[in-house]
Amino acid sequence: MTGAAGGPGTAANPAQVAGATAGATVRTGVDGGTLSIAIEGDLVLDTVGAVHRALREPLARVPRGVALRLSGVRRIDASGVAVAVGLHRFAKSAGIPFAIDGVDGDRKLLVELALRGQDPVAPDAPVGFVRQVGAYAGDIGALVADLVRFCGEISFIALQIVRRPTLLRGYDTLAAMARHGTDAVPVVGLLGFLIGSIIAFQTYDPMAKFGAKLQVADVVGVSVVRELGPLITAIVLAGRSGSAFAAEIGTMKVTQELDALRTFGIDPVRFLVIPRMLATVLVTPLLSVYASILGVLGGFVVLAPKGIGFMQYAIEVRNVLTIGGFLQGLAKAAVFAVLVAGIGCLAGMRTGQGPGAVGLSTTRAVVAGIVAIILADSVLGAFFYTLGI
Amino acid sequence: MAATASTSASAAAADGAPRRVAIALRGVSIGYGERAIVEGIDLDILAGEILFIGGGSGCGKTTLLSSLNTLRPPLAGSIVIDGIEIAGAGEDTLQQVRRRFGMMYQLGALFGGMTLLENVRLPLEEFTTLPRDAMDDLARAKLGLVGLAAHAGKKPSEISGGMQKRAAIARALALDPPIVFLDEPSAGLDPVTSADLDALIVALNRMLGTTFVVISHELASIFAIGHRFAMLDGARRRMVALGAPAELRDHSDDPWVRRFLTRTASGDHG
Repeated sequence: MTGAAGGPGTAANPAQVAGATAGATVRTGVDGGTLSIAIEGDLVLDTVGAVHRALREPLARVPRGVALRLSGVRRIDASGVAVAVGLHRFAKSAGIPFAIDGVDGDRKLLVELALRGQDPVAPDAPVGFVRQVGAYAGDIGALVADLVRFCGEISFIALQIVRRPTLLRGYDTLAAMARHGTDAVPVVGLLGFLIGSIIAFQTYDPMAKFGAKLQVADVVGVSVVRELGPLITAIVLAGRSGSAFAAEIGTMKVTQELDALRTFGIDPVRFLVIPRMLATVLVTPLLSVYASILGVLGGFVVLAPKGIGFMQYAIEVRNVLTIGGFLQGLAKAAVFAVLVAGIGCLAGMRTGQGPGAVGLSTTRAVVAGIVAIILADSVLGAFFYTLGI
Repeated sequence: MAATASTSASAAAADGAPRRVAIALRGVSIGYGERAIVEGIDLDILAGEILFIGGGSGCGKTTLLSSLNTLRPPLAGSIVIDGIEIAGAGEDTLQQVRRRFGMMYQLGALFGGMTLLENVRLPLEEFTTLPRDAMDDLARAKLGLVGLAAHAGKKPSEISGGMQKRAAIARALALDPPIVFLDEPSAGLDPVTSADLDALIVALNRMLGTTFVVISHELASIFAIGHRFAMLDGARRRMVALGAPAELRDHSDDPWVRRFLTRTASGDHG
């Protein structure tokens, strides 16, 4: 790496460079096509930028070799060796010889250490379109395989728990119900109430034009109980619980807690996923009913000043709602819960390595959760319509 | 806040030669909330020395380091770094002091979204006006010093834990600070890499005069490169030893210090 270089030869163009607290002189000359560079003074962080600028023009003339002499350097720090690193990389890229002299002892060690592994690496060839498509398809395939394996594991463990209920981690399930159910009551209630009142606001005037003021209660009742109650609850769940599942389990994966569970012989799906999924499936329909009740109340709060009494409103809502419609809302809420909890937990289990991995899993859990909810809502809506419910 | 007199004074190094005091601690107590872990630390860290700070688990080594690196004010006492009092200092003063030291955290604490080159270049981008290609050369040189030049384009998640530590040292050296704090630099490294790291610390210390304050349990490193060793004891809540490592090992009056430095098993350190 280091070697004898010819002297500055026809050294000329001394350039004085100065930093705030240090100064250096850069002498350059050409000897048989080789660019000789002699640096004197302080080669430190404060002067390295100026030295770098002083060398730009001589290097632009495409020399046949570069010889760096540092014997005149009074002081050099770990930043000063960057000049040698830059020249070394320049010479390697241009395919010309590079030599350095005037360093010994600790300075030589410092330069040698700094130059280790500094050969420029050719950039990776761009990945072709076909290869990109293949890689993408491979990722999707891996996701599908993980999804199938995950669903299989959940089903298998759920069956085991049905046979041996002691396998269920009851306390963890109750704790998850509190955290993801009870704690969500205020926000779900608020959103349900506001959605009900917004629907009443938006539909009152058009309905009133046709003399159907009271039928606003029908609109609120049907839309909130069958559709928006479960939907709003599930979206809150995706943002609140799905993301939390992904972050919790993802962090555990990054910190090797999942590996620790496996080495104990404990299945992470039984230990972590089942309690969360069961808790979510149990609390979501209840939250959905609660959101629907508050949504209907929200509609009444808007209609009350318009002269519609509570009993009148309640009877109208009761008349338009059927048991089938109510059960439809409950069924949707349960399906949404399975999707949100499953996607959140799966995203956590698939977390990669590195500090950004948990954030990525959380984002995936929320986005995929909401997309799945809307997709499932469409399918279920068509399904119930076909059944005439 | 004014510097204390001790910072302008010099103290005798292990070799007897007088040296400037880089960091002066007077009556420093460290801990959490109201609870002190160690009290009454008086210590002059000399410019250009390699000082190891050690002690049993939970004795306050890392807490002391977080007071030295300005993140956690001491519960009591005075800490003067390069002539500036940091105990009770305002954010502007602390920012000024932070330019004078580099810090390597135990787990590296590299920025995960950046490559190693970008990690090392970041302080240069923030605090210098160097041309971009000069910054790149400089960052590559620092990575070369720790043997990672060939991995400059990788992200922290793509390299091993030991390599992350070395990259963190390169980042700590980015601005060539006169003081470098290293928190457990050798922990988790193989013996060869650990010895390489020791050689690097010695070379930088000898050639650049960089002061190294190293938190470590690694006896091999302490004896190989440590000029002095300061030992904290959580049970007695004080600094119980300060001196040349071999001297303390062979001649300390404190049995706990001798046992620690000879790696002798004991149920009671009296």
